[in-house]
Amino acid sequence: MNLAGTDAREEFAAAWRYLSNPAFHDELIAANGNVRPQWHPLVDSLLEIGPEGLARRWQEGRRLVHENGITYNVYGDPQSTDRPWPLDPIPLVIGAGEWRTIEAAMRQRATLLNAILTDLYGPQHLLREGLLPSELVFRHTGFLRPCAGLSVPKGINLHIYAADLARSPDGQWWVIADRTQAPSGAGYALENRLVASRVLPDVFARAHVRGMANFFQTYRDTLRGIVPEHRENPRIVLLTPGPYNETYFEHAFLARYLGYTLVEGGDLTVRENRVYLKTLGGLLPVDLIVRRQDDSFCDPLELRGDSMLGVPGLVEAVRAGHVAVANALGTGLLESAAPAAFLPILCRHMLGEDLKMPTIATWWCGQPRPFEFVASHLDNVVIKPTFPGRNDHPIFGARLSVKERAQLLERMRASPADFVAQEQVSLSTVPVWDDGRLEPRHFVLRVYVVAAGDSYAVMPGGLTRVTTSLDSLVVSMQRGGGSKDTWVIGDGPTPEFSLLQAPAVPLEVSRATFDLPSRVADNLFWLGRNVERIEVAVRVTRAIVSRLYSESDPASAAGRDAGVRILAALGYLSTDLPAAADRTARLQDELLEMIYDSATPTSLGSNLHQVRHLAWLLRDRISADAWRILNHFDQQFSNPAPPEPLRISGALNLLDNAIMTLSAFSGLVMESMTRGHGWRFLDIGRRLERADQMVELIRHGLGLVPTDESGRLEALLEIADSFLTYRSRYLTSMQPDLVLDLLLLDEANPRSAAFQLARLREHIEHMPESRSSIHRPAEWRLAVELLTEVQLAEVAELARLDPAGRLSNLDNLLLRLAGELRRLSEAITRSYFSHALASRQLHAR
Amino acid sequence: MALCVNHTTTYTYSEPVSICHTEVRLKPRTSAAQTLLEHELVIVPAPEVLIARQDYFGNTATYFSSQEPHLKLTITAHSVVEVHASDPLQPRLTPKWEQVSEEVRRYDRAETFDALQFVFESPRVRTASEFADYARPSFPAGRPLLEGALDLCGRIYKEFKYDQRATTVSTPVDEVLRIRHGVCQDFAHLMIACLRSIGLPARYVSGYLRSGRNSVGSEASHAWVSVFCAGFGWLDLDPTNNLMPAANHVTAAWGRDYSDVSPVKGVALGGGEQAITVGVDVAPVPIRY
Repeated sequence: MNLAGTDAREEFAAAWRYLSNPAFHDELIAANGNVRPQWHPLVDSLLEIGPEGLARRWQEGRRLVHENGITYNVYGDPQSTDRPWPLDPIPLVIGAGEWRTIEAAMRQRATLLNAILTDLYGPQHLLREGLLPSELVFRHTGFLRPCAGLSVPKGINLHIYAADLARSPDGQWWVIADRTQAPSGAGYALENRLVASRVLPDVFARAHVRGMANFFQTYRDTLRGIVPEHRENPRIVLLTPGPYNETYFEHAFLARYLGYTLVEGGDLTVRENRVYLKTLGGLLPVDLIVRRQDDSFCDPLELRGDSMLGVPGLVEAVRAGHVAVANALGTGLLESAAPAAFLPILCRHMLGEDLKMPTIATWWCGQPRPFEFVASHLDNVVIKPTFPGRNDHPIFGARLSVKERAQLLERMRASPADFVAQEQVSLSTVPVWDDGRLEPRHFVLRVYVVAAGDSYAVMPGGLTRVTTSLDSLVVSMQRGGGSKDTWVIGDGPTPEFSLLQAPAVPLEVSRATFDLPSRVADNLFWLGRNVERIEVAVRVTRAIVSRLYSESDPASAAGRDAGVRILAALGYLSTDLPAAADRTARLQDELLEMIYDSATPTSLGSNLHQVRHLAWLLRDRISADAWRILNHFDQQFSNPAPPEPLRISGALNLLDNAIMTLSAFSGLVMESMTRGHGWRFLDIGRRLERADQMVELIRHGLGLVPTDESGRLEALLEIADSFLTYRSRYLTSMQPDLVLDLLLLDEANPRSAAFQLARLREHIEHMPESRSSIHRPAEWRLAVELLTEVQLAEVAELARLDPAGRLSNLDNLLLRLAGELRRLSEAITRSYFSHALASRQLHAR
Repeated sequence: MALCVNHTTTYTYSEPVSICHTEVRLKPRTSAAQTLLEHELVIVPAPEVLIARQDYFGNTATYFSSQEPHLKLTITAHSVVEVHASDPLQPRLTPKWEQVSEEVRRYDRAETFDALQFVFESPRVRTASEFADYARPSFPAGRPLLEGALDLCGRIYKEFKYDQRATTVSTPVDEVLRIRHGVCQDFAHLMIACLRSIGLPARYVSGYLRSGRNSVGSEASHAWVSVFCAGFGWLDLDPTNNLMPAANHVTAAWGRDYSDVSPVKGVALGGGEQAITVGVDVAPVPIRY
């Protein structure tokens, strides 16, 4: 197809109704109306696929985003710790020649910024000679004085650097911001690629899009190369501020992709001037910390003392040369708009060449002439704070009222050095898919650069972020913008390369799994418990709902009432259901609320949400498939209730599905996990909870005063998923002692309490603390006691009535078991999860 | 004359501390005004790691960590310092305060470049118009710098009340200006804020004061102010006692404010409830025959 021809152009315009705005540079359509050459393969395909075809393909894309759980956290939004990642199907396409220009400019800029940091944390020639105003450094809270003179391995401060680029109406690329601290988004760029290349695989191959895996391999090689004391198998960790950080998803994703252990500050400790990872197996030395945490929060002893996020003693360990940090501590200093105003001079001075890509025009108001210029051109500039920590929102001069403008000028005159102005440019536009048509939107391209040998390597691609509308001037994921894959066209077909498939250096066979921090063990334990807890609630609820309208059948009604007692005891239903005629209606209301209303804290949906949250904290530990199941499940319970006559049958359906999904989840998690400590803690949680729930089921389902109602026993067997076993043994006769034996004492029944206790005993035998035969830990003794207790129990004794006609032997045993199980849980927490021990600050005058 | 300084800091905990990381700045500096003759740092329980280094401002910072579980940590610094008496300055001979401010803003000499970093706000000292307003009456146009600084020092001494209960170690300097009560740390921060707010470089000095009937602040570590005066170097002023330190003050460390030079700071894991006691004793070294 000849796209330069008028026919194709009109065909494309007609099919996609794309109208670029002549006021801006458009990436797709040139000023003469033609499609730019680098877009031809994509546009050809879009013509073939058509809007409906893209809509179908994009459903798949959205499903991938949802199922891979690609999320982004929005600060200050209690509703969502995770919001689906907004991705647009149409990539940004950049031609090979243009990319070479960008690449060279980015290499130069990273080299320059690295050299500036080396000077500022060393001899400070740039300040002494007045090439960079000292105030910009000395007043900056990111100038970390304890890090001055720290030796950085191989002279690299910036191991990864990112720049935000924009294109002005004349087609020129500009740098609009530098990211030197711990640039985010490279992982999202990779995820965008995975999704977009699956939605448009045919085009992707035809267009010779360059791959990104080489870039990450280079990053890994660079990091491997700065490990201080050369070791065969260095331990590298990725330090995250935690799950509430806006890009936590990316931290977990990158840790997995790069093969590093994801840790929080509390997982690390400094002993004898070395950094260790606290794991269940003991302290393991850490050689390199890849940080996604801001540097000033990395050590509460020497850096910011008001935060406990970091690792006390870290700076001293770095100083001693026992551990390396990437990016180096202190690099946040250059993440501000003001230094850019001085880069042209600094570049000539330090590298002896001109800056290859200009920074958007920047004026630091701390100098009189720039200040006067800015004050008289407020309409054309964006005002930003010079130093971090104040109001960080940019102010668009043109949008100020007369009064606001006067107030701003007054503030600026009072402390001019606090303000930086940048020229307000009209960003270029790119097509965004919007409900069947393409619309132009502004965008900013974030490009990533990693240290490679003596120079830097640029990721062929990047993170393209688009504005919410053509009027919007701010590109921010925090404020609801979208993102795109970025295609850099190669000169020819690109060889396939994936980090996961082909490591550059063949790795030795290893049986070691990821080191397990005790915080993670804690989460796994509770994930196991919570999944089991929900399963019991779902099973009991299903047993009740299926017996809801059975007033006429006494056996059925007895089974239902047993279920209601259990649910009430577990806290899901209110305990004061009236015995009167409106009982069924009340019960139905409460049950439906529990099933459909996920806003109620006792609802299944809300409990499920908690499980999903726990699983989400374990993103780097749980298989993608298991995560997908859970996501799907969470969504089932978020749907609104069906209309009235279908509510009960809909609920039954939902509960049936829920049981299948839960089994699939536990199955997958268990099956895909290596049999290490992580798996053990998950299973301990699960077994402990199942034993506990069984004790509660029997206590409240059977009751203290026995009745011969077979309906009650049947319901109990159904809830405990042991009905078939019972039938196959005893045919139809329902006897309390036989049911008790099967549910409580029979070690062959995988649902019985005895079975769980036997597994617990085994697990605890294998735990690190139990290895000493001299001093057995409390959890070991409790596990042995619990198992012995059920093994020694006689079912005839348990089923015997006391003189008052009550099952007091049984009740005593159940109470003892419940108490011991609680103590067992506490003992495990004390032995293994005590990482939560608080650090505190000491100060003395 | 030589002064002997004994400074003991004791932390006691209700529950064992399993590991602590501590950084202290307890070793007196050697400068034109004093010479360090003896120094010994004793820590109980004995730390596994103890490393001394020069910090960004040239102070000795000593890092140590103890990982033996303990209910009590005692840090004792013993120092003997020879204090040199210098000829008193004639305040009226010092340069005009505006001239010093301009020279520092130009920072074309090593001396002024070094002073420049002390003119900006720092973690514990804001610069703001309310501090400039307070300083203004002491600094009419053309007044020699030291005359102005002494006047400001005297006003703070008279208008603020020494009161150990009014503030804590973390009281912001704005509040000190408002409540007009505080201790040496607060007065030093306030005076620094005033000087910087009119463009004069000022630093925070942490140290000791010889006990005597008329001096305030000798029972714990002391703090005062140093102001930069081009051609004369750094001049010390003690707003808590309204004087220029001479033979009775021992300088331990200086920095932009307290956060740069706190004598003892640390992070401990565990510990429950904690109590701190600090004891300082400064006395002339007995003459031996």
